[in-house]
Amino acid sequence: MLKFSDFNLNPRRVGLMASLSLRESLRKRLVAVLLILTALFVGFYLYGIYRMYLDFLDRPGGLDPVTGELGSALIPVNFAAMFGMYLVTFLGSLMAVLSTVGSVSADVESGVVQSVISRPVSRAELVAGRWLGFSIVNAAYVLLVSAVMLGGVYLITGFMPPNPLAAIALIVLSILLTTALTVLGSTLFTTLANGIGVFVLYGVGMAGGFLNAIGTLVNSPVMQTLSRAANTLMPTNELWLGASYHLQHPEVNAGLKLSPVPNPLFGSDPVSPAMLLWSICLTVLAVLAAMWHFSRRDL
Amino acid sequence: MLRSMTVPLASTPVIVTHDLRKSYGPKEVVRGLNLRVGRGEVFGFLGPNGAGKSTTVKMLLGLVRPTSGQLQVLGGSPDNPAVRARLGFLPEQFRFQTWMTGDEFLTFHGQLAGLRSAEIRARVPQVLERVGLAGRGGERLEGYSKGMLQRAGLASALLARPELVFLDEPTSALDPIGRIEVRRIIEDLRGEGVSVFLNSHLLAEVEQVCDHVAFVRQGQVLRQGRLSEVMGGDLRVRVELDTAPPATLNILRSFGPILSQQAQPAGTVTLEVGLNSESQVPELARRLLDSGAQLYALTPLRPELEDIFLELVGQSGEAAPAPTNAPEAAHA
Repeated sequence: MLKFSDFNLNPRRVGLMASLSLRESLRKRLVAVLLILTALFVGFYLYGIYRMYLDFLDRPGGLDPVTGELGSALIPVNFAAMFGMYLVTFLGSLMAVLSTVGSVSADVESGVVQSVISRPVSRAELVAGRWLGFSIVNAAYVLLVSAVMLGGVYLITGFMPPNPLAAIALIVLSILLTTALTVLGSTLFTTLANGIGVFVLYGVGMAGGFLNAIGTLVNSPVMQTLSRAANTLMPTNELWLGASYHLQHPEVNAGLKLSPVPNPLFGSDPVSPAMLLWSICLTVLAVLAAMWHFSRRDL
Repeated sequence: MLRSMTVPLASTPVIVTHDLRKSYGPKEVVRGLNLRVGRGEVFGFLGPNGAGKSTTVKMLLGLVRPTSGQLQVLGGSPDNPAVRARLGFLPEQFRFQTWMTGDEFLTFHGQLAGLRSAEIRARVPQVLERVGLAGRGGERLEGYSKGMLQRAGLASALLARPELVFLDEPTSALDPIGRIEVRRIIEDLRGEGVSVFLNSHLLAEVEQVCDHVAFVRQGQVLRQGRLSEVMGGDLRVRVELDTAPPATLNILRSFGPILSQQAQPAGTVTLEVGLNSESQVPELARRLLDSGAQLYALTPLRPELEDIFLELVGQSGEAAPAPTNAPEAAHA
């Protein structure tokens, strides 16, 4: 039964649990390892863009000889930036799952949670604090890597997407949603089962984009309905498609719009307000469901 | 359904349960448990593996939801954070955040317990010293031995000056010196008026520190009461004589049943006789001497806690059959 008291939160205690999660991420070197690997990946990727840019310097029409602005290099550079951000989103999602997969279940399995819950901290506060702490870590990671990726592209090519902040905001929302669903799974399942489950759910979201592309290509209403169902169940892919729209130069966007088949990796339209609202609601609902369920289970 | 209880404040028990039950599916782990622990008592909770002891402790701490029955801890529900703020708990599986140092671990628990920063700074070194970890607070818990981790857990349990401390097998990882130290800590707590709920398999330990005990098997209290009452109800004497002719046997039977008779290699005879009270011992000695018997020894035998434990729960607790018509727990 739903009880209002399950959702009573003391900000000080939620902050304590969030602080625990932050310190845990830093002390366990998860963030450090991921940052080092990410730096290697981003450096490698930006080096590729740099070499591509050098190629265009020698090509007629690649760059404006007077202003140095992108000419025919615009489209490949824009796609390179979008692919880069796609990989940032994927890494962010990976980080969200890996950092949070055992946020509750691992502590239950090891028995650590017993000494915490026997203190005057409610289970809802523990769950809310864990989600908040890991969300801060994951969002900070995405913000940092996005800034490095887009800043790197700008420094190399002079290209800046038209609305990077809106794109990053949608990616961060996607990461918060993934973190919330992973915390919910952590209150329901074992750590291993949760990890598998959340990755499958992430795959369902991606499948939504592919089903839509194929369904439009073959004009199959059933596949398009399945696509909508997948995107509703896991809106992360829809959020990415919406984010990619904000990364597109108008010429690139016009090209994508002209395509008879939707691109499964890049969207040509902004995310619908309904989907945006649903994603926010789903994030909140996942955290509330985690708080409610954890308040009821035996430890 | 769990219902709240109303207990008169005058009696001020720290724990009261009535018909407390917990089932996991069809398996009933705790079956109508009735407990009453008074303020300032050191209460030993005894039973074989699988008796429902840990489940009971978890219910008393709000970690496990009872299926039915009533329980009250420190006058309220353990679901209430204000009640839990007055509790200390050392779990049997003392697993903590091993990436923390001892100081950080205790500071975190002090913050959870609602202590102020200045109080935490003062209390952490105090409790570390009390459990024998003075000067080790700067080390990471992952570098602690099992015994040190258990001491750290004990320090955490004592940190917020609790009114009631649950100690679940508190000496399982400690060496003999550590066990003596924990015993002293429990005795100190008693002196400070703190109630202690001790869950232990070490009967000698319980016998030394507890003033009240309860024996449980298969989720039911078999016997509960003051330790002196539990142990004092069954007095025997061992009598060693040169011989045991019928006249001597008759004298012994007039005091109580002859429980055993055994010839000794030295040519004497040893008999065990049940008595009603200790005051019969001098009279028994006088009657035997008056009868002309050669009395080599007359030794009062009190049962050890282990004997009572075995008598109540059987040789193998887990394999023992469920008690039929188990006696209703007598409140201490």
